[in-house]
Amino acid sequence: MTRILSIAAALIIAFSANLAAQDDISPSRKQAIDSLALEKVRDLSKYISIVGNKDTPWSEANRVIERTLELFADGALMGVSSINREDVNYYGIREYLERLMALNYDKVTISWYNIQYISDLERQPDGRYVGVITIFQRFEGTTKEGLRYVDVTKKDVTVYVERKTTQISGRIIGFWDVLLGDIRVTETKPG
Amino acid sequence: MMRERKPFRTETTGKFRLFLIMMLVVSLGAGFSSCTSQKKAAKKKAAQELAEKKAKAKSDLLAIINDDGRMTLEEKEFKLAAVKRMGIDDNEINDLIGQAEEILARERAALERKKEEERLQREKEAKERELREGGQYRAINNSLDAVAGAGDVASANMRIREALAAFAGEDVPVLILISREGEIKDYDRPTTIRKYLEFIKDQKKSPNKVLNAAFDSNGKIKELELIKK
Repeated sequence: MTRILSIAAALIIAFSANLAAQDDISPSRKQAIDSLALEKVRDLSKYISIVGNKDTPWSEANRVIERTLELFADGALMGVSSINREDVNYYGIREYLERLMALNYDKVTISWYNIQYISDLERQPDGRYVGVITIFQRFEGTTKEGLRYVDVTKKDVTVYVERKTTQISGRIIGFWDVLLGDIRVTETKPG
Repeated sequence: MMRERKPFRTETTGKFRLFLIMMLVVSLGAGFSSCTSQKKAAKKKAAQELAEKKAKAKSDLLAIINDDGRMTLEEKEFKLAAVKRMGIDDNEINDLIGQAEEILARERAALERKKEEERLQREKEAKERELREGGQYRAINNSLDAVAGAGDVASANMRIREALAAFAGEDVPVLILISREGEIKDYDRPTTIRKYLEFIKDQKKSPNKVLNAAFDSNGKIKELELIKK
């Protein structure tokens, strides 16, 4: 009986390993999704700078907010910090963007740099790939009176990548859906 | 008196002859000795010249063999040819010539390979440029680039309107190919032409070019497939 159970267990393990191997993607495909996720974070960086920019017309900023929301998973949060306080506040993405748009500065410049993976995309048991990309954000706000606030924040962006299919003109199209998750503040320094 | 003088003349003539003979012998001896020393000097000079030639040839060959990239291949080939023209019959020099020839043959082959690779790369780039700038989708690519390159929001919106005129509608699907491996094609999340044009307006960059386009019966684009430039 024990022998039969051992054989059955071995077969199950071998079968599972085979299934896992089938789900593995080639290095070149993996590299393509790595790059795709990085591109999405770069796109977000541009959207945030547009929304924050006081020269962006209101209608344009609102349109860009809608585009930005499409980058995020439902319920994702954005961390906001300041050199003037200890706490980090977390807002839903829409609220964060609307607050950013309404910031009480005459001029706002936001730039993201050193965008790179700190945790590679790894396949999860549910088939999704999850990774973490770190970025540095330089925020500069200038009031009408000429007062300047500058900080540099290090943030970690969780990224989820999932293989999905859709039908276009009667054909099944396989695509990688990249969604950004929470963006957590890990460090804030004066700029 | 005459009898007394005769033996004197004979004696004098004999002594003179002897003197002449001795002079002749001495001059012949001197001449022979001078000829021998000249030959020796010439031989010594030839040996010295050969040694110098060998030294020069050896130094040139070692320079070729040990070159760390300071000399061009042509310079090295020229030096080697010059050494070979010297026609020195010496085992060491011949060995060095063999080594230098081997090295230069390898370098020549690598250079030819590099030239060929560069030629192929140039051809590839020209082909890609042709596809991008002069290919069948030139007009669509240009309209995408025009949106990305617009200086302000108003002109970007105008370019979007112009670009949209080529499409069957604002909701025409746009697929962006990110990877292709055999039969497997991976795309980014599908979007619409309106959203894609707005994306390139916002990002101020047009990272993709047209790979395929499907047209409807009115000649308008009903589906667009893009790929990274």
